[in-house]
Amino acid sequence: MNAPLYEYGLFGENVSLIIAVIVGFFFGLFLERGGLGNPHKLTGVFYLRDFAVPKAMFSAIIVAATGLYMLGDLKLLDISKIWIVPTFFWPQIAGGFLFGLGYLVAGYCPGTAVAGLGSGRIDAFVTILGMIAGSLLFAVIYPALEFFYTSSSMGTATLPGILGVNHWVVITLVLIMAGVMFYAIQRFEGKTGRGSRQKVKSEEFQYR
Amino acid sequence: MGKNNFWSPYIAGIGLGLTLLATFYIMGKGLGASSAFSIVSAVAVEKINPEFAGNLRYFSRYLSTASPLKDWIVFEILGLFAGALTGALLSRNFQIRFDKAPGMGGTTRLFTAFTGGILIGFAGRLARGCTSGVALSGGAQLAAAGWIFVISMFISGFLFAAIFRRLWS
Repeated sequence: MNAPLYEYGLFGENVSLIIAVIVGFFFGLFLERGGLGNPHKLTGVFYLRDFAVPKAMFSAIIVAATGLYMLGDLKLLDISKIWIVPTFFWPQIAGGFLFGLGYLVAGYCPGTAVAGLGSGRIDAFVTILGMIAGSLLFAVIYPALEFFYTSSSMGTATLPGILGVNHWVVITLVLIMAGVMFYAIQRFEGKTGRGSRQKVKSEEFQYR
Repeated sequence: MGKNNFWSPYIAGIGLGLTLLATFYIMGKGLGASSAFSIVSAVAVEKINPEFAGNLRYFSRYLSTASPLKDWIVFEILGLFAGALTGALLSRNFQIRFDKAPGMGGTTRLFTAFTGGILIGFAGRLARGCTSGVALSGGAQLAAAGWIFVISMFISGFLFAAIFRRLWS
């Protein structure tokens, strides 16, 4: 076992920055090609009009989760050396809620705003400027927020850990949930004629 | 130009998942996005008013390093832009445009794009990441954070879409 490669010192920081550009490239390519640089498609899910976001997002989660834990169980990857996203319950509930509003209003999230800019959208650049301002706003009021920001820490809590079950139980549940959701979406699209293949061009108005 | 000739989102999603898996394997961490803009914000404020930036305790995590912009996630975002640009150009979907809902005025769109940006910038800091770093990467790790964030974000999106019906239609 010698992976994660960076954690096992197979290359240094400068090489890691080249890798960042390469994985970022594919990240952006797949976002744009999936239609996730288009604010109409990005917000479509909330109006039950376009389901590209849940389709792409949960497909990605399933592939990466299955692959990650499979490599771990096969001892090809040391999962204990992976940086797990830390959980802070209430800040992430509140953050997710505010984020949902911002995403709906802007029509983008941070990564997809860059994909939107890459496909020529000036409004995505305005959203990026807003994000820079929003980060500053957070930094300015951080002293007042710090108490909340650091509250309800659950460390590197994972669903298998919390539920006390094997990770494959959780992955199977995620697969079932996604399968049911994808099936329901396809049926809904079939019935209503709505869907990600729907022409969105007619909805786009150029700025004059 | 502006063709909207996209791939199936399932195929794109599988591509995103493989990219994320490769990142786990190579780097030992997932993908991200929002903190790149927090770093840019810190560096910009320091350029404009070093004293003011020095007093912002939250930004010290970036500004205490020798060259804050020489950060993994900043380079990842540069790659993201290049990848999206390449995809849009090769598929003839690239078009300089100011995208908005039909019937929405240009000034209104400027306002929604900017205030929405402020909200996601702020919320991303509060949640310690965004759709990429927390929802996608955390979700794939089966981290509680990822699933808490996703559920909260979707509830909020559906709720506010019911309130702001005319925003995108």
